[in-house]
Amino acid sequence: MNPARAAVEFTNTILTTEDAPIGTTPRDVVWTHRKVTLYRYRSTRREHAVPVLLVFALINRPAIFDLRPGNSFVSFLLEQGFDVFLLDWGIPDDEDADMGLEAYVCDELPWGIRETLRTAGAEEVSLLGWCIGGTLCAMHCATADDGAVRNLVLLTTPIDTTGSRYSNWVARDSFDHDLVADAYPAVPGRMVDFANKLLKPVQNFWTTYSDLWDATQKGTARVDAYQAMARWVGDNPPFPSRAYREWIEWMYKENRLVRGRMRLRGRRIDLGRVEQNLLVVTAGADHIAPPSNTAPIFDLVSSEDVTHLDRPGGHIGLMAGSRAREEIWPDLAAWLEERSNP
Amino acid sequence: MAEERDERLVQRNAFGELMAMATENVVALAKIGADAGDLMVRNLRLAGRRDIARLGQQLARTEDKLESVLQEVERLQDELRAERERSAQSNGAHRSRTEST
Repeated sequence: MNPARAAVEFTNTILTTEDAPIGTTPRDVVWTHRKVTLYRYRSTRREHAVPVLLVFALINRPAIFDLRPGNSFVSFLLEQGFDVFLLDWGIPDDEDADMGLEAYVCDELPWGIRETLRTAGAEEVSLLGWCIGGTLCAMHCATADDGAVRNLVLLTTPIDTTGSRYSNWVARDSFDHDLVADAYPAVPGRMVDFANKLLKPVQNFWTTYSDLWDATQKGTARVDAYQAMARWVGDNPPFPSRAYREWIEWMYKENRLVRGRMRLRGRRIDLGRVEQNLLVVTAGADHIAPPSNTAPIFDLVSSEDVTHLDRPGGHIGLMAGSRAREEIWPDLAAWLEERSNP
Repeated sequence: MAEERDERLVQRNAFGELMAMATENVVALAKIGADAGDLMVRNLRLAGRRDIARLGQQLARTEDKLESVLQEVERLQDELRAERERSAQSNGAHRSRTEST
């Protein structure tokens, strides 16, 4: 392709990214509370007795579970006969500044599970949490004693933050997280996203675009894949200030979860009380929650059925990349299937 | 090569310090700007961001209470249904015993 035409194509791809369709699998709203929404995906073949509840992080949006037609984890689970629900934290604003980790772990998550069970007519659920969503799910399982969660799946989840790149930035005394949380009732998503991108500056600020330029020139650019991912990456909801303060202080500065010093509503979060069937997925090239940050969970939980999948890939690419459909989703579905029937 | 070098750079303590200082200064400037803007708007007797957020908080608190009430109603409905089923079963058993005698 000649450079002028390639430049037009490249510019067009960048400028029309916001129009890319993401999260298009049909779904219904089951329950809402404040900004939180529970969705149930439509399906004509629900074959397994235990529904799956997907929980994403507090940064970025859960559309990554249902990225684009042809590359949607949600669609894949529906094809495998699962009843799929999604707990969407929504887009918090200044009025949600009071939402701390306990609001998510002790209220929204158990209420979402409760509504999932009522809607599906089930007695147990499989919780599948990704990144911070995984940590919240693990905390919930460590406090809840209602036996509602049968299976717990943690995808690239930070448990012990020691030695991570992020920790090197925010755990130091000179990083004043209180100043940030006091200044912003809802910490701007763009700010959090900028810091995340700085963890891999060349790849995020240069290589992504240079690769797209090269592919455009060769005529091999996969515009739909690029735009879907770029749109998702650029959609950054604010982080409620209380949750931000607690996340940075308790998880990074004090590393409370693995030290057994995390308390929510007066109850100690003891990972030793996690007894669910546990599947932990780590990504070898994950720079946000590297395997060394997740692995300590194996020494802490009481689960008898524990599986660990460690695969090459990044924090997001492992589950949402173009090879995920062949390389990781079938393993997750098979693991869930074995444990989703009476 | 450049990628690896830059990733090593951002892992350094000095870069971490730089990030901490930069964040502090940017946030402080943003706060001064936001406070000044809010002060101006409120002195014009217009609803500022804080006023709207306060209204939003009141709505959120009301929704919290409504959610608790709804959950309690649903729990009572479940209890009532179970109780009715139990009494229907015991009535059925009583009737069949009466008929057999």
